[in-house]
Amino acid sequence: MWQFQWMLSLIPDAILNWIYWAIIAVGLTGMIASWVGRLIPFYGKYAGILKPIGIALVILGVWLRGGYDVEMAWKAKAADLESKVAVSEQKSKDANEQLNNALKGKTKVIHDVQVVVKEHIVHDASVIDAECKLAPEAVKDLNEAASNKIGDVK
Amino acid sequence: MKRLLIILSIVILAGCSTAVPVQRHFPDVPEDMKQNCPEIKLIPPGTTKLSEAVEVISENYGSYNECRVKIDAWIEWYSTQQKIFDSVK
Repeated sequence: MWQFQWMLSLIPDAILNWIYWAIIAVGLTGMIASWVGRLIPFYGKYAGILKPIGIALVILGVWLRGGYDVEMAWKAKAADLESKVAVSEQKSKDANEQLNNALKGKTKVIHDVQVVVKEHIVHDASVIDAECKLAPEAVKDLNEAASNKIGDVK
Repeated sequence: MKRLLIILSIVILAGCSTAVPVQRHFPDVPEDMKQNCPEIKLIPPGTTKLSEAVEVISENYGSYNECRVKIDAWIEWYSTQQKIFDSVK
């Protein structure tokens, strides 16, 4: 089935449209010829065959023409959607770039502040250590809080 | 006659064929956002100087702030990308 659809897809839409109209036209001509043919003596015996063929061709042509319209409507919808998707993908990229720049900026500020704070601590170390000695219990408690393994739970 | 009927039925069925070529891709995420949050640093055991503890604690604050910014970025990324995704109808 797909081979036939593929073959049909090779034919330009405008030509397909003409083919379908031609099938309808041939069918209508056959039907008219079958009615008129009865009046012609030597042609009359073929008129009976022309009628069902003409009707079948008209039905086939109308069916295909309807299918063609549906196909065109879907193609138009798909093209519209494709253009919308392309716009949204570009928007998505732009938003990502903006977000990435903002993230880099904020991270840099945090690092810069950290450097300054570290310098302050080094500068103020003598003052900080002057009147306070850290008890081992404090270190133990702080490390316990820091090494909370809740993040490792799967 | 059989061949004619087969070809005819194929032609008739082809009238219903439709193709939907539209494909959507999952939006990308900036590389910086894919990195895990850093581990919290521990105060070296035996430390008696408060300044050394303060240094480690301030580094951990920095790590937290860095991680918070990343989480905020994920929230913003999700809501922005969702809006963009929903705008295509």
